[in-house]
Order: sequence, then structure tokens, then C-alpha cells
Amino acid sequence: MMLLNSVILVLREVLEAAFIVSLLLALSQGLRQGARWFAWTLPPAAMGTALFAAILDRLTEALDGAGQEVTNAAIQVLVYLFVAAIVAMAARVEARPHWRLLQGLMAGAVTLSLVREGAEIVIYITGFAADPAQRAAVFAGSALGAGIGVSVGILLYCALRAMDPTRALALCLLLLGVIASGMLMQASMLLEQVDWLPSATAVWDSSGLVSERSIAGELLYAVFGYEATPSALQLALYLSGLAVMALAWLAPRRLHSA
Amino acid sequence: MRMAGAISALLLAGTAWGKTPQFEIEIADHLFLPDELRIPADTKVKLVVFNRDPTPEEFESYELNREKVIMGGRSGVIFIGPLRPGLYPFFGEFNPGTAQGRIIVE
Repeated sequence: MMLLNSVILVLREVLEAAFIVSLLLALSQGLRQGARWFAWTLPPAAMGTALFAAILDRLTEALDGAGQEVTNAAIQVLVYLFVAAIVAMAARVEARPHWRLLQGLMAGAVTLSLVREGAEIVIYITGFAADPAQRAAVFAGSALGAGIGVSVGILLYCALRAMDPTRALALCLLLLGVIASGMLMQASMLLEQVDWLPSATAVWDSSGLVSERSIAGELLYAVFGYEATPSALQLALYLSGLAVMALAWLAPRRLHSA
Repeated sequence: MRMAGAISALLLAGTAWGKTPQFEIEIADHLFLPDELRIPADTKVKLVVFNRDPTPEEFESYELNREKVIMGGRSGVIFIGPLRPGLYPFFGEFNPGTAQGRIIVE
């Protein structure tokens, strides 16, 4: 039981970060920018994860108890903004973008994603480290979950690299835009949780159709930020997030051809 | 101690007009106490979760769209609602085998 719990918990966290990492790596390789920037993200991501996990109790009490949510929401909004800038630059390579800046934005988005997902895993595993009855199952389950998550990421990366480059580029930008918009919506939910944003009743309830607890629901959540019971504000944010991504992607081309 | 926590959780702490009603839940031995809360429909309420265990726990609910890590020996504030009448399960993501509860909105 504990083993399976650990597999699921860690897999959920790893998948979210793995999608962002794989898509950005595939995009970078497709634009002939290599993967070197990815190595730069690992030391700050490891330090950020350890720091975040270490100060989480104090962070939770900051801002009248809203610190944890506000920090997580800020990270998600930042990742959204980085991805929007990446999409805008990658969509007009003919205009010779500032490659260093593009690599920096990719490194920033990956570092923030790793810190956010990594901190929860660290808190989870260290919480059980002192419990001899559960420790082995938690360690093994977490390793399994992480292994499956990383494998899915590698599979996605290989699939994208095997595709026709033009199509792969379009698919990368599309998926990045959708995932980042989902994060924007999740950020609004965190702010509702601490009453920084007004909370409203759900517009619909599709949990009968696709439950967020199901495997399909979890996958839809990781890619599209699927919510079975979204509020009007969350929907509006999600759709605006997608609209800005579409503009970032398509507007420059329209201007060029005009 | 636990009994007092359970009773206080059943009572509205914020009885003053215009104040957000407050409810309290404890986590002890990876269980929620109480494991069932009744809250009014179409009302925003403030839920304070005290983690009495030395280990961290994550309060999570798909139905309520809520998730919050509460470190060992600490507490966390979570606003919920306004909600339609119904049953809203929540669980401790780190110990889902035992930490299960539900909020009944009526």
C-alpha cells in the first residue's frame, strides 16, 4: 500500500516537470541550440529544492499563512511568462533571435519547474526517513515513481526528435503553450485557497465524465491542467493564457507577411 | 485534548456577523480529527488544519481543488467555498491509507 502510494505521489510530481524538461530539450535541439543549458540548471535546481523544502514551514506562516501558496503561484506564473517568451522567440527563428537569451529562458523555466516539483518530493521522502517501518517502501516506491516519470519524459523527447522537424517544432510550441496555460490556472486556484483571489462556485462538474483521480484525469491534468470543477475565473485565465500563447506564436508571422 | 479539538471543530469559531466562519481539523497519528465537517452551503469558510504529528502531511482534495503541505507540528490555513450542497472528500496525500475525511456542505 505505502509502496504504491509513493509510486503515485512521486510519479505525479515528476511527470509535470518531465514534460516541461523534455519539450524544452527537444525544442532546443530542434533549433540547434544543444542541451548544454540544461546542465546549468541542475546545481541551482538542487540548491533551490533543498532551500525550498528547508524553509517551507516558515514560508507557510509568512504573509498571514498565505506564503506557501503565493510562492508556488509566483513560480507557476513565472514559468508561464518564460514559456510565452520562449514560444515568441522560437516561432520567429528567421528573425535571428538572441540565442543566449532563449537558452537562459529555457534554463529558468526548467529550474523553476524542478524546484517546485522537487521540493514536495524531498519533504515527502525526508518525512518518512525517520520511520523504520515505512522507510523502505517509501524509498523504493519513490525511486520507482521517479524512474517511470523520467522514462515517460525520455520517451516523449525521443518521439519529438524522431518526427519531421517542422512538425516537431509546432508540436513542442503547442504543448508548451497548453501546459503553461494550465499552470496559470493552477496558480489562480492556489491564490483562491488563501483568499487572495475571490473563490466562486464551479461552472460545471465533469468529474462523472473524467475523474481527476483516474489515470486519464491525472494525465489530462499534467498536460492540460485538467480541472473537473473549474470556476469562471479559472476558465477565463486558462483561455486568456492560451490566447496570449497563440499571439506569441502567430502574431510575429502575420506582421512579417503584412 | 482530542475531544476538545473535535468539539471546537464542530462549532463555528467566528460567530460575529460578517466574519468568515472558522473550522478546525487536527491531524494525529495520520488521521483527521474530526474526519467529517459540516459547513453551510454558498458560504466561504476558513479551515485551520493543525498537524500534531512530527511528520509532514499534505491536505489534498480533488473535489475542493485544494492542496497544501503542512509540516510536522505546524498548522495551515485553507479557505474553502462557497460550495453547493454535497459531499467533498479530502485526504492526506502522504498517508492516504489512513488520513481520509469529508466535508458535508448543507
